[in-house]
Amino acid sequence: MRAIWFFASLAFTACLIGLWQLASATGLASPIFLPAPTRVLDALVAGFSSGAMPAKLGATTARVFVGWALASLLGVALGALIGVSQRARIYIAPSLEFLRPLPVSALVPIFIGLLGYSEQMVLAVIAFGAFWPCLLSTIHGFSAVEPRLYEVSKVLGLSRWSMIRKIALPSALPDIIAGMRVGLTVSLILVVVGEILGSREGIGYDILLAQRAFKSPDLFAGIILLGLVGYASAIAIDWLESRLVRWR
Amino acid sequence: MDRVIQFSNVSLAIGGRHILDDINIDIARGEFVAIVGPSGCGKTTLLRLLAGLAAPSSGEILLDGTPVRAPRQDVAVVFQDYGKALLPWRTASGNIALALEAMNVPRDQWPARIAELLATMGLERDGDKRPGEMSGGMQQRLQIARCLAQQPGVLLMDEPFGALDAITRQLLQDEVLALAERTGMTVFFVTHDLEEAIYLGNRVVALNASPGRVARTFPIDLPHPRDQLSTREHPTFLELRHDLFSFIKGGTGK
Repeated sequence: MRAIWFFASLAFTACLIGLWQLASATGLASPIFLPAPTRVLDALVAGFSSGAMPAKLGATTARVFVGWALASLLGVALGALIGVSQRARIYIAPSLEFLRPLPVSALVPIFIGLLGYSEQMVLAVIAFGAFWPCLLSTIHGFSAVEPRLYEVSKVLGLSRWSMIRKIALPSALPDIIAGMRVGLTVSLILVVVGEILGSREGIGYDILLAQRAFKSPDLFAGIILLGLVGYASAIAIDWLESRLVRWR
Repeated sequence: MDRVIQFSNVSLAIGGRHILDDINIDIARGEFVAIVGPSGCGKTTLLRLLAGLAAPSSGEILLDGTPVRAPRQDVAVVFQDYGKALLPWRTASGNIALALEAMNVPRDQWPARIAELLATMGLERDGDKRPGEMSGGMQQRLQIARCLAQQPGVLLMDEPFGALDAITRQLLQDEVLALAERTGMTVFFVTHDLEEAIYLGNRVVALNASPGRVARTFPIDLPHPRDQLSTREHPTFLELRHDLFSFIKGGTGK
């Protein structure tokens, strides 16, 4: 049954590519803006055989991963602190509520001012954007722990630290992973923004250059690669989730 | 009398509303006391005070002569909502292990202790199941097993069988009776099921509502071991049942 669905989804993708081919072959869309799939494939093959594409793909993927990992680490740590400590919530929450709705793009000039057109700037932009979904869902996860379980841990005589580690954290884990999943999507968006604004070598910056040079096959090749990075990371998160929250 | 639990002049008011008023109950070691009363009479609150999960506004609760200020590891609590009181991500064995962790039992003793506790509650083949894969009755057995891991001198049970079907309820009633007899535990059993209270208890304490007060105490003079058929048909049982039902119905007693 699963195999049938798998082939059905493949067939659907093939249909989309077929329509695309049809649109460019009949001249429905100008080849300057919409290249034929075959030309995009050529651009991908050329990019990979010259060795330029793998390097850019690697750089972009590494940025997504590092920025996202940083955001997740900070988001979970701070979220857990706010989730379990009333005092932390009182101190920290108002500042966070001010920072949270700020669009990351508005803060990019500040990051550039602080860090220059550097690798760290791009990572900071990604981490800042991906931090929020992670933080909010972690706070939610910790605040949604079944109150009865806190009573159980009191009656059993668990220490506060054991309670956090053995009851609150595992209980919040599904929410934490959901937040990390959203954070990863945000990271993928922001890596493009960061590369374009910081002129850092990578798929995102490549797309901008291709567009400026009217090299639409290269532009589409970049978009397809970004899509694949997103797809692969979604699969990785699914795997992580199925390992960590088997009980659901 | 070897007094284990002593409520002396215990009152509780929350926001000016009197929940419990001047409660005085003495419980002897090994006694099985059932607390009954209309809903909202504060019987669960009484149990929470005894567990150290809440503090009275005035008066004192003594456990082995020491005032209760916080939960104690030798006092175990069986909550009614077993579905919420168990860790859904841990197996049955893992849930019992939680208590052993809290008790600082050396890790190498865990497998033997867990196996023994599972067997005590008839769960010997379910150690690897998660609560979500178990029936309500099995989950409540598991919660009792986790309480037994604390080797408690006092077991507090808050309407533990209220959510179970009639047959499972009767089975568990008999198991808890046997367990209490074997271990010599003192049991403080809150229920709204009057027949259950008579069937299980050495004594039934009936509370009045708003504010909760000890209205009457019924000594239960029924032979042990109790039996679901003969005990429930015993003339004394029927008489007590009549008294308790008419008392609760009338609100004040005969």
